[in-house]
Amino acid sequence: MRCDSTGSNKETIMSILYVLIPLALLLLGVAVWAFFWAVGSGQFDDLDTPAVRIVMDDDTKPDQDES
Amino acid sequence: MTASDTCFHCALPVPTNCSLTVEIEGTQRPVCCPGCKAVAELILDTGMSRYYDLRNAPDPGVGRPPDEAAEWQVFDSADMLGAFTEQHDSVREATIYVGGMYCSACSWLIETTLSKQPGVESAEVNPITHRLRLRFPADGSLFSSHLATLANLGYQPQPMSPEGAARPEVTEQRTALKRLLVASLGMMQVMMFAVGLYAMDFQGIDEEMQHFLRLVSFFVTTPVVFYAAKPFFTSAWRGVVARRPGMDLPVSIAVGSAYAASIYATFTRGPAVWFDSVTMFVFFLTLGRFLEMRARHRSIDRGVAVSSLLPNTTIRVDDGTRTTVPVSQLAAGDTVVIRSGESIPADGVLSSGSTSVDEALLTGEARPQVKGIGDELSAGSINLDNMIEMTVTTTGGDTTLGTISRLSERARYARPAFVTLADKIASYIVVALLLVASFVAVFWYFADPERAFVITLSVLVVTCPCALALATPAAFAAAGSRMAQLRLLVTNGNAIESLSRISLAVFDKTGTLTKGQPRITAVFVTDNARTEKDCRLIAAALESASTHPLADAFALPDELPAVSSQKIEIGQGISGVIDGRQWRLGNASFVGGGIAVEDSSATHVFLGVDGNAVAWFEIEDELRPEAKATLDSLDDLGIAVALVSGDNRNSVEAVARKLGISELHSECTPADKLAIIEAAQQRGERVVMIGDGINDAPVLAGADTSVAPAHGALLAQTSADVIMLGESLAPLTTAVEMSRKTMRIVRQNLAWAIVYNALALPLAAAGFVPPWLAAIGMSASSLVVVLNALRLNRFE
Repeated sequence: MRCDSTGSNKETIMSILYVLIPLALLLLGVAVWAFFWAVGSGQFDDLDTPAVRIVMDDDTKPDQDES
Repeated sequence: MTASDTCFHCALPVPTNCSLTVEIEGTQRPVCCPGCKAVAELILDTGMSRYYDLRNAPDPGVGRPPDEAAEWQVFDSADMLGAFTEQHDSVREATIYVGGMYCSACSWLIETTLSKQPGVESAEVNPITHRLRLRFPADGSLFSSHLATLANLGYQPQPMSPEGAARPEVTEQRTALKRLLVASLGMMQVMMFAVGLYAMDFQGIDEEMQHFLRLVSFFVTTPVVFYAAKPFFTSAWRGVVARRPGMDLPVSIAVGSAYAASIYATFTRGPAVWFDSVTMFVFFLTLGRFLEMRARHRSIDRGVAVSSLLPNTTIRVDDGTRTTVPVSQLAAGDTVVIRSGESIPADGVLSSGSTSVDEALLTGEARPQVKGIGDELSAGSINLDNMIEMTVTTTGGDTTLGTISRLSERARYARPAFVTLADKIASYIVVALLLVASFVAVFWYFADPERAFVITLSVLVVTCPCALALATPAAFAAAGSRMAQLRLLVTNGNAIESLSRISLAVFDKTGTLTKGQPRITAVFVTDNARTEKDCRLIAAALESASTHPLADAFALPDELPAVSSQKIEIGQGISGVIDGRQWRLGNASFVGGGIAVEDSSATHVFLGVDGNAVAWFEIEDELRPEAKATLDSLDDLGIAVALVSGDNRNSVEAVARKLGISELHSECTPADKLAIIEAAQQRGERVVMIGDGINDAPVLAGADTSVAPAHGALLAQTSADVIMLGESLAPLTTAVEMSRKTMRIVRQNLAWAIVYNALALPLAAAGFVPPWLAAIGMSASSLVVVLNALRLNRFE
């Protein structure tokens, strides 16, 4: 691995973490906020129907059935 | 009966004089009435013919539209809108309980139809709670038109007041979901940082990076401890205050002390942190609680069930003027008009007219009761014959109906079962664990003070009664969802445990073993000049005007002779003129002509002309086709069967004879039924009660377990522990087998959890288990328990 080769190289590569980890935490915060908003607006009140809804969707008009 | 002579929409027989059809994918399908034709065409026109493919086999009559839809207009007035809807900006939102839904195709049909109506913003149906959330613009859209659309689809809409619609379960689930998400995201992040920290231990430590990762872990763990794990701390504190330490106490001590020690280590740059163990621990605990909560919520709203037996609106008479008002606005002293076929909105005294009422829901008595002026009427019973006026005495929760439902509610809560026992045992386990942990702490403090905290923490984490706590709820949750797929709804967590030990099944006859629909089983003609067919035609013609429950038995699809001057004699029979002759149909004394019939199980109805009896009909309630097979398989499972019914001795004996039941009790009041069940329990029997009437509700609650078919009265469903969805009795045996399998898994899980703890505790106390390994061991043991429980999902 490259980071094992020299001490200084390892330092440079690892220091990117000081930027990436706070960035990840920021995204985490956004994700949590979005989820809290979704729960608050009732999108997760029904956890049973959405699983079967996909198999029920059918918008076929009777007149299109002839094709 | 072939498919061609039943209605394509509602599956009722099509009258022969009816030639209505609808065209579905090029084929003409028969329908039974203009209403069904309209509904079928509405469904086809909106492009939703798939409904007919998706729905389960319909119960005859379900989906048939009611004859009157104009009653909804009362909901357009300003105070009605205020009482039943909430306005947000320019949009009104209403919660409507939809009666008559019987599968998820219904929820799809309702949502799709309503959202295609002009003036509907959105429509969402929850098929579990049967609630529709409807949003429509405040201007230019009539609430009543949406209610009428629902009614036209064949459902019974019931607008609910916002207070009635707000349910604590929804708030609880929302909070639980948020906590679960915080715990799971937090755990994933902290685990990632922990991998970095452990890798650094092996590859040589970069001091600054280690400190940084520890700080970040601390930052992420904090909300997990203070938000996601909050319920554990509050419940632990409650346990301490009540001097009843629960499982949450060692959990809280482990989480709290590991968190505090990790903070100390972070800021003093100590040797180790345990943020990963903390978050993982909290996540698994939260997940267990969440699964348990979901299983608990799978019950049907009780308050709605009672009100759905009452009409939405009623006609009130104020100084001679009649106004349609919602039932919730009735007060004692009001006078209301009840038309034939309507249900009675409140308890009261009959003030004008005479009629017979069907009180089957309240008393279990299937035969109509004759009522005259001054007689008492109960809310929820159905007015069968004539229009009457009633003076209201009590309304709402104080009515007989409300009282019975409260009684059964109390019986539910008064049942301590094994929950209290489990709590008691848990207290001892917890105290023992805390004693062991403090003993370990003291020992290591003197032996090796450096390692004392780490080892004590490992002991607390490794002995976490997590697998022990998950063993039962995980298996019950898996069993609950599998049983729902098998058309069984478990509403009470204790049901599975008690169902697995059942030794006696007590059946209520009416509507449980029988179809609850009377049918003519034999016709005896005494006048040789007439054929059986003639007599049936005449009887059908006479009964065509009656709403009596027995009248359905006489209905014929043929063209009927014309009847004039039909007259219903309350409690006696019906008379009418056909071809100039006076015909009578009813009991022996009403018809005259003195035919003596030996006493038997069936109900007898006589037909006579000009005072001479010409024929009699034997009417019986038909057995369910699968009843015999179900009882046989119960016998194979080692369960005895008894029959307890409010019906008369003869009919109960006839049913018992056909099904081979030896223990039977007839003419029982609800109190008798309860006494019989309690006597059986005294003998050491474990009793499951299978019943469907409202009067059975306290009885259902008094039995060890109760099962109700979903087609019965709604209240019985809600006080029953297990509800069988659909028309068949067969799921009953599945329920017993499933519960036995579940308890087997629970025992395996408990055995595993105990063996694991017995092995891990000495190792941790001896200092061989670091905290991270303890957390992994704890999680792995929980995982084994959960995976074992999930095997229930494959139960056939």
